[in-house]
Amino acid sequence: MTLSVVTCAALLALVPVQNDKANKNERRSWTITAERVYTAAGDAIEDGEIVVQDGKIRAVGKGGGGDLKAYAVTPGLIDLSIRIDQGFRSVEQSNEITPQVRALDSLDVYDEAWLRAARGGVTTAMVSVPDRNVIGGLSVVLKTAGAARAAERVVRPDAVLYGAIGSAPSSANHPAFGRPDDFYSRRPTTRMGVEWEWRKSLFDAAVSRQDPKRATPGHEQLHAALDGKLPLMIQAWASQDIRTAVFLVEEARREGWGNPTLIVDAAAEAWREPQLLVRSKAAVVLPPFSPEGRTRDGAFFALDTAAKLAALEVPLALSGHNATDLESRLCYQPGYAMRGGLSFDAALAAVTSTPARLVGVDARVGSIKAGKDADLVLWSGEPFQPTSKVIGVLVDGRLIVDPRPGASLDASPAASNSNK
Amino acid sequence: MLSLAKFSLATFACAAAPAFGAAQSFVAPQGEGAFAVSAPHVLVDGKTVVNDALVVVEHGKVREVLDAKQKSKADGLPVVAHDGWVSAGMIAARSHLATRGEVEEPKRALNPQARILDVVDFAHPELQAALRSGITTIVVAPSDSNLIAGQSAIIKTHGRTVLDADAHLVIAPAGSALRINREPTSYPGAMAMLEREFERPMGAVADVAAGKLPVLLEVQDRDELARALDFAAKHKLKGALSHASLAGELAADVKKSGLSAIVGPFGPGTAPRPLDSVLALAKESVPLAFGLEFGSAPEELRWSAVMCARRGLANDHAWNALTSHAAAILGLEKRVGTLRAGCDADLVLWSGPPLELTSRVKGVFVGGVHVWGGQQ
Repeated sequence: MTLSVVTCAALLALVPVQNDKANKNERRSWTITAERVYTAAGDAIEDGEIVVQDGKIRAVGKGGGGDLKAYAVTPGLIDLSIRIDQGFRSVEQSNEITPQVRALDSLDVYDEAWLRAARGGVTTAMVSVPDRNVIGGLSVVLKTAGAARAAERVVRPDAVLYGAIGSAPSSANHPAFGRPDDFYSRRPTTRMGVEWEWRKSLFDAAVSRQDPKRATPGHEQLHAALDGKLPLMIQAWASQDIRTAVFLVEEARREGWGNPTLIVDAAAEAWREPQLLVRSKAAVVLPPFSPEGRTRDGAFFALDTAAKLAALEVPLALSGHNATDLESRLCYQPGYAMRGGLSFDAALAAVTSTPARLVGVDARVGSIKAGKDADLVLWSGEPFQPTSKVIGVLVDGRLIVDPRPGASLDASPAASNSNK
Repeated sequence: MLSLAKFSLATFACAAAPAFGAAQSFVAPQGEGAFAVSAPHVLVDGKTVVNDALVVVEHGKVREVLDAKQKSKADGLPVVAHDGWVSAGMIAARSHLATRGEVEEPKRALNPQARILDVVDFAHPELQAALRSGITTIVVAPSDSNLIAGQSAIIKTHGRTVLDADAHLVIAPAGSALRINREPTSYPGAMAMLEREFERPMGAVADVAAGKLPVLLEVQDRDELARALDFAAKHKLKGALSHASLAGELAADVKKSGLSAIVGPFGPGTAPRPLDSVLALAKESVPLAFGLEFGSAPEELRWSAVMCARRGLANDHAWNALTSHAAAILGLEKRVGTLRAGCDADLVLWSGPPLELTSRVKGVFVGGVHVWGGQQ
């Protein structure tokens, strides 16, 4: 027993060393063939072939006999609400308004959750500051696998300004995590307080343009958000919170503070008043579907939400929330949305091209086109069907899951290994 | 006064005239007359062992180490005869010894002007204990529980000697410095706060920003390490990483940063992974030294080196990490860490090879002054 423990530990210890060696001659060029290549940019290609060279897609067309084969290939999935963070160590509780705080600064790429996400076909993800602050800070878009350093995985730092409306940022008049050992306590304590903090922040930011003396920390980020240069992503599960988010943005426009771009995250009850989202030109990120429609903040998430929003042309992305249960993973979310009436193409777009466009990384990821990053998912059957599974994953041309028969689960030498 | 005549395993011999009276001048504070220590094995540094040697001490410094052929140069000097090994005193490159736990200012995250020297109790028995285990030089540092924890000091374990009153600024962009009741409570808050301090640096932070004051970067997990390396590169920080137990898994990046690594303490219970990390750092030629934890016994310093050697670190490398490399990391290589001519005569008399755990410390000299050993 002792011996085996020691051996295991020794093997574990060898992993990074192997990584080092492997990284140098790591193969990042492949030819992939599939009966269907779903590019997320135009029609599917029957009997398609994708040539990957040095981590980039070089060519897409018809062909056969590549060195990796699958029934279908889609672009790597993109999750804008992956929620792989370090809990209380990722949210700055000393203030409830922290627009200047960067999720990039609390990334832990050694968390095993990244490997789980990559194995499930998610190749690009956005990490936000956890929802316990009113304005949490700047979200970061990164690859789910690859380099050992976070900085080298980043696709876009500071992609959106993230905050929350609802019960989370006002969870009680005490720190969101841990117990105070002195008089210190937090505000706000109610939804009204949360709304007030939002309005005050945006108002103060607008005022500080005229009067720099009134600038508060993070005013630059708020200015960028007001100007629409930095999308404002607000978590709002329930109907009343989605309304608040929309009204905030509309107030900013009406008062001449700017023209923010709104993305509502975890908008479970977006189906109740979708016209509000159309009117305010908001985009929506939906949370993972839940069997009985119950989500957080008492919000009911209807199965036809995605279909309803798509019919009104509300830009739409699906997300996985770092779920550990199989059916909540992002690769199954399009299946639920299709069951609720969404078309295959729209469902594919909702996990690839649309999220890429919403956070400004579509030049690199989100579709299969020559010149883009070789982030690909290989499927055993039709994508998103319950009978299909992810059999291969490439991130920047690196084989994270090897589809070849007999290959081990983790083809990637770049697989994360936790330090926790 | 100790009588060297009673020095265990040693007989005080006189090569010539000044008979026993020399013992008095020998025990007296440094700066008095020269003397020599004879031993079958003298470890000048990790690579150099002189057999059948004499270490000549004068004015508290090592004048020279003589081999059998050169022994006549010491004719006339009083000699302490020791029948084991003699080495330089070991260096703990991080410790919280002699602080009585006052190693942090709990309500403030930023304490650039706090100096650990203000709490060091030179009469503390922990210094005696360190001395008895062969440690003659220590870094005393504020703990890693504040973002900017304060300034460390380098002292000798005997004689109230301060080698550097403000040796490093301790910066801890780590989970250990996050608290619920003050800013920062989070990693991003910590990084934002540090950036703010370095935007308009003042005091000790300005010295760090100007490259005049090294840092002791306290980080643990690899994600913390990666952030610290990015921060260090951005602000061109010099100094050492401390506590980064898996730093070896990012060894190439650590090497690129130019930072040294202070590792340990390790013991028989240490898992192989942090030890392999040390080996990986050594392979990349990252300068290494060992440190003590709050509450760790001073003996753990030597244990740390032994555990690394047992895992595959070359013996001389392990010894140098305890002595000369540690001195170099602290910028004190001309003063401590070896028995080269001109260095402080901080001598440890061992019963056997220092990296063998069965070897015991039989006597210690600091600055040429006999401070421990013999019949007491």
